[in-house]
Amino acid sequence: MKSARLFVLTLSVGVVLHVAAHSTVVIADDSTLATHKEPVVVAVRRLTEPQYRQSIEDIFGEDIQITGRFEPERREIGLLALGSATLSLTAAGFEQYFNLSLDISRQVFSEQMRHAVMPCAPASPAEFDRVCAEQFISTYGEQLFRRPLSSAEVEARLDAAALGTEQSGDFYTGLQLALSSMLTAPEYLFRIERAEPDPENADNWRLDAWSRASRLSYLFWNTSPDKELLAAARSGELHTENGLNAQVQRLSSSPRVQDGIQAFLVDMMQIDGFDSMIKDATIYPKFNQLVADSAQQQMIRTLVDLLVVKERDYREIFTSNETFLNRPLAAVYQVPFASSEEWAPYTFPDSAERSGIFSQIGFLSLYAHPGTSSPTIRGIKLHEIFLCEHTPEPPADVDFSSVVDSSAATSRERLLDHMSNPGCIVCHQRSDPPGLALEHFDGMGQLRKYENGQLIDVNADLFGNKFVGAQGLGQFLYNDPRASSCLVRNVYAYGAARMPGSAERPYINTQIERFAENGYRVPALFSQIALTPEFFNVVIPQGAQQNTNNVASAASAQ
Amino acid sequence: MLNKTKINKALFVSVTALMLPIAAQAEWQRSYVIEWNEPAMYFAGEAGIEGPGSDCPQGVNPEQDWVDVLMRAGYTREEAEWLRNPANPTRSPTHGQNQMAFRGKDRANVYVNPTSYPDPGLYPMTGNVAEGLNLDGNTDTGFVSPSGEAGIDNTFYKTLGCWKTYRGPERLSSGAMQFNDGMRNGSWTMVIVVSGEGDDPSNDDNVMVGFYMSQDNMVKGGDGNISPHYTYRIQPHARYEGLFPARTVNGVIESREPTPVVLRDPGYTRDLELLQAQIKLEMKDDGTLRGYVGGYRPWLPVYQGWVNARGPVIESLTWVELPSVYYALRRGADYHPDGSSEENTHISYALRVDALPAFVMTPDASEVATQVISYKDQAPPLPAESGPMVGRSRIIDGLVIDPNAEYQAGPNAVILPPR
Amino acid sequence: MSKKINRRSLLKGMLGGATVSLGLPMLNLFLNENGNAYADGSTIPTRFGTYFWGLGLTDTPAGGTRWVPQKTGFDYEITPELEAIAALKNKVSVFSGFRAIPDTRPNLVHWSGHASILSGVAPAASGRFDGATLDTKVADAIGGSTRFKVLDIDASVSRRPVSYSTRTGSTFASPDQSPLALYQRLFGEGFQDPNSENWAPDPAIMLRQSVLSAVTDQRHSLMRSVGHEDQIKLEQYFTSLREMENQLAVQLQRPEPRDACVLPRSPSELERAGSVDVVNSNTRVMARLLAMGLACDQSRVFNFVHTGGTSETYIAGQSKIYHQITHDEPTHAQLGYQPETSKLAGLVMEGFGAFLEELDAIKEGSGTLLDNCLVLAFSDTGYAKIHSLENIPMMLAGGAGGRHKAGQHIHAPGESVTRVSLTAMQLAGAPAGEFGTGSMRTARAVSDVIA
Repeated sequence: MKSARLFVLTLSVGVVLHVAAHSTVVIADDSTLATHKEPVVVAVRRLTEPQYRQSIEDIFGEDIQITGRFEPERREIGLLALGSATLSLTAAGFEQYFNLSLDISRQVFSEQMRHAVMPCAPASPAEFDRVCAEQFISTYGEQLFRRPLSSAEVEARLDAAALGTEQSGDFYTGLQLALSSMLTAPEYLFRIERAEPDPENADNWRLDAWSRASRLSYLFWNTSPDKELLAAARSGELHTENGLNAQVQRLSSSPRVQDGIQAFLVDMMQIDGFDSMIKDATIYPKFNQLVADSAQQQMIRTLVDLLVVKERDYREIFTSNETFLNRPLAAVYQVPFASSEEWAPYTFPDSAERSGIFSQIGFLSLYAHPGTSSPTIRGIKLHEIFLCEHTPEPPADVDFSSVVDSSAATSRERLLDHMSNPGCIVCHQRSDPPGLALEHFDGMGQLRKYENGQLIDVNADLFGNKFVGAQGLGQFLYNDPRASSCLVRNVYAYGAARMPGSAERPYINTQIERFAENGYRVPALFSQIALTPEFFNVVIPQGAQQNTNNVASAASAQ
Repeated sequence: MLNKTKINKALFVSVTALMLPIAAQAEWQRSYVIEWNEPAMYFAGEAGIEGPGSDCPQGVNPEQDWVDVLMRAGYTREEAEWLRNPANPTRSPTHGQNQMAFRGKDRANVYVNPTSYPDPGLYPMTGNVAEGLNLDGNTDTGFVSPSGEAGIDNTFYKTLGCWKTYRGPERLSSGAMQFNDGMRNGSWTMVIVVSGEGDDPSNDDNVMVGFYMSQDNMVKGGDGNISPHYTYRIQPHARYEGLFPARTVNGVIESREPTPVVLRDPGYTRDLELLQAQIKLEMKDDGTLRGYVGGYRPWLPVYQGWVNARGPVIESLTWVELPSVYYALRRGADYHPDGSSEENTHISYALRVDALPAFVMTPDASEVATQVISYKDQAPPLPAESGPMVGRSRIIDGLVIDPNAEYQAGPNAVILPPR
Repeated sequence: MSKKINRRSLLKGMLGGATVSLGLPMLNLFLNENGNAYADGSTIPTRFGTYFWGLGLTDTPAGGTRWVPQKTGFDYEITPELEAIAALKNKVSVFSGFRAIPDTRPNLVHWSGHASILSGVAPAASGRFDGATLDTKVADAIGGSTRFKVLDIDASVSRRPVSYSTRTGSTFASPDQSPLALYQRLFGEGFQDPNSENWAPDPAIMLRQSVLSAVTDQRHSLMRSVGHEDQIKLEQYFTSLREMENQLAVQLQRPEPRDACVLPRSPSELERAGSVDVVNSNTRVMARLLAMGLACDQSRVFNFVHTGGTSETYIAGQSKIYHQITHDEPTHAQLGYQPETSKLAGLVMEGFGAFLEELDAIKEGSGTLLDNCLVLAFSDTGYAKIHSLENIPMMLAGGAGGRHKAGQHIHAPGESVTRVSLTAMQLAGAPAGEFGTGSMRTARAVSDVIA
């Protein structure tokens, strides 16, 4: 165990250093830069597809059809939420969002829908009504931009609406243009978080109230702030302890909190990639897209039920044998499906060796090859997802010929080849053992005891920690303190769009302790973190101050 | 775009239901889904599908020259050729060529009055090997099985074995492909439950075998084959059900005594009614089940099945004149129930069955069906007879009649258009 | 608080997982660096069409195939039933082994197959689709600026018009059924000569520009207070926006003269007979008119039916129609397939060959009209004798303006037909990230054929 700890420590430090080197951050508390009065942008995060869809549904109703291709997301340090802070839009992506904005606006102002949406009626539907148009733009602009619009922002849309009305002879066609322009704007497509000088301490920066509202809303509900939250931002309540308490209480006790926690779990547990999963039909004939979709659903249902509905100890995701099945999954697991509903709860018997989320076919098939299992990939992903430990890419000078030529019967023997290569052993001695413990599951996650006629050995030895099979692995992870600290850091990073820095380590450690005191309950962890001032810490990005001056002067020069 | 309905039907229950089946009396249980079934038509052809062989020395029944057939039935050559020309408006390929029906005596409809027409004859099956079961227990009557067992009773094969529809190697005859393709794509599902009371499933004197309908479709995997291990609920059916008292001998299930059953026919007749029915099914090491269900089936419904599939379509697609099927079945009939008239009303028959391991549940899906019992008393009443249909079209006397058509077929129809 | 898993949020969980990693992004590759013109420097649009023929091609369980090439990838060999496309095979990709998967729906004969390809779902009943067909989605994306959003053409000379294009699933398009009708639609009253003096920019485009200018107006205030990294990101956003503006600006310029657009002469009415020779010559004449209609930019999306699902075509002088022959002809003992059926399949494919020849005969830019088209050609069934939904023949013809890596054979047994449909939509420029439902749902285009 001792050597494992040491190894891990080096890696975690590496991650932190990596972040630090990248952004050269300055934590607000240490900052002396807050003398300038202009707010600064501290984060620009592209909306994810679910956030985009949910925001539109919440603002305009669920009848709006959203068809289009969204740009691919990117995972950084294990989270799409972190990747989203580094993503922009390609020309192709912009074209998609642009067309989507036209399509949504057309639907919003269709004959059937416009009455439900409009806060006012124009004096004449054929002429431009400035008052009514402005009312529409500011009402919906605030919801879309998650803050009030500046007068210039309103004016620009009014111009578009006026021109559109004039050209088409229809007020609503004009408003369509105004709405499209808001839906195309970076202020909608990106969550732009701003910091402002702290009025109580001029040397400090604080996240402004609107950005606070967004941070809370996306964390708990994975959507834009609702009117109540925006009102709390407007009144300044969100900056008070009581005001924050009241909103966190309201958000966390709503059934919609399931949306937010689920979105986090799907991100952290990397429950994606099922659309592009490929399995060889000769080797795994039961595989089809329906099975892949079902396997993804199963992981989500299992986690949400365990952690949100039942509010159980987080660590039980490594040991629980309770899950949900549908008919295709039951066939793959080779158990009867005792229900006439589409999905039904199910508890695996011990003999099935299915305990822990990683023993479900979703995880097992995702992290395998098209025609065979892969202890190495599974081991790497177990470390990455559940322990926040990332494995470097294999060195460039590895001689793979001796590895792939192996004709040994089981994976274990084939992998032994790595162990004789000093360049490989550093990573493989860590990645392979937990993967080998899952070797009773083939490349599609089906239970097997033999490979090529030979009994499969599922004993694992991870730096002196010995365990057997999926159950043993689950128990190992259950007892490993790295698992809960990984979760806590991820919740913070997911909400704040950055990994906590080294200066925040004491804070994170406190959160980990409180998480344990609270019985490792995930919903409580969300509230606990959202209620700490550190959750709203800001990092002034390099260059923000200079830009303020540069851009300001450039603008005045025009 | 993701479809919302994917989720909408889901029901969430936060109560954890344990689904482990609890065995009742049965000591062991196996269950299967029929993934292929077809009339057991032994193929002794030398090559291909319909080619000749020792069983059908001349191959399959040849295509008719329908102009000749019509002329023999009293139509002029000009009329016959007009009726057979696809360019002509009296001929609807969708409905078949209805005038074809009216070629009996006094232009009677030969489909419903086959005896109004002389027997055109079918190529007989002349071999002495057949698949199936020894239904009468007599090894001196019947055929020899491919493995050398004597006394195989399968006159159905002898009668229709050289008809193109039925002829071909396993899974390759056009009839087998047509109906099994439909079944595998969801037209119907039959499951099999086997339960025994002994300690050794391979050798057990007290075994029951149940054939049931299920409303759950088979599912194809990525390789296009039916996937095993899916779950099927028994769907109580007032007609289709078969319960066989049986025993196992070295892994082969055999009937202890004959019994009447009605199964779902992989054919136009739909009802596979069998008297004195027996089974012989091998539980194979790979988990599959394979063998025969045999018995005596009434022959007239077989004929009517073909007629109701639209006589003119069947005749032109399968190359027989339907009256010849009528005469052949009547001639071949080799059984009648005790106490009925002397005339044979039934014909010996065997169905070849391939089944995959599957989970079969009681009708409410609550538990695995461990016992072989009848569910007929739970079945909804059969729907009132609506008469035969093909798709949405009603079949009347073997024909689809379009009341709005300009030209109507019939004994007195004017064939040629006025000049 | 009592909680239950909420359904809506599970749906969103699925979406959260929908990080598509294959075949994306693509649109940015179509344009040259400035985004103001297509990669070859011209402003020639891509056209999309479907081409349907009935009764599949010959590939039997007994082992005989007459169309699936042995070789996969480029330079596949020409099989007997593909003979008609031999001359153009470098512009045609052939897809074999794909299947329609009805899940719990029945196999509705001569219906479920093409319904699955076009709408992504096997319908519950014949005569209806359970979703809009993909041509309408492509038309929404690329067909808006022309006189006809979609052209529907039926060359089959059937009793009833045959069309498989629908937005609602229940109402199908009314196709033009004769060359004369098609001529009148395209070149009769209302014909818009792309080379005429009276060209005017589309006001709708200008309105779209105003949408974007309202966004750019705010650029400075946004950029005032961002850090270096966010500045780079937002700069990229605004660069993308400018590319969109440039695209719109191009559309406001007078189009280049369409040299290939020459008003054709009115055709004479053809014989109304359903025999395959007549259908094929009808196909050629209507394809020629269609090609000129596309060259004159009257439409950018079309659906072309050669013969319907239950094809009524036949060889002139024979008493049996093709449909009947597929069912009743025995499998030849030595050949392993039905020779007459295969002969008819070859004849039916001659129609497709003629169709492609007509599109390829028109010069456009540095290539031909066909190079700027993407034609999704397919049938209703695989092995027609039993109405098989396995191995339905599908092809993608034309270069799609350079996006289609044409001339390949893709063999993928067991894969859903919707993968080819999705590929076609993406190549044609429709905003489709996924297509189909149930087992036919896919987000995986066939990336091998996408440039």
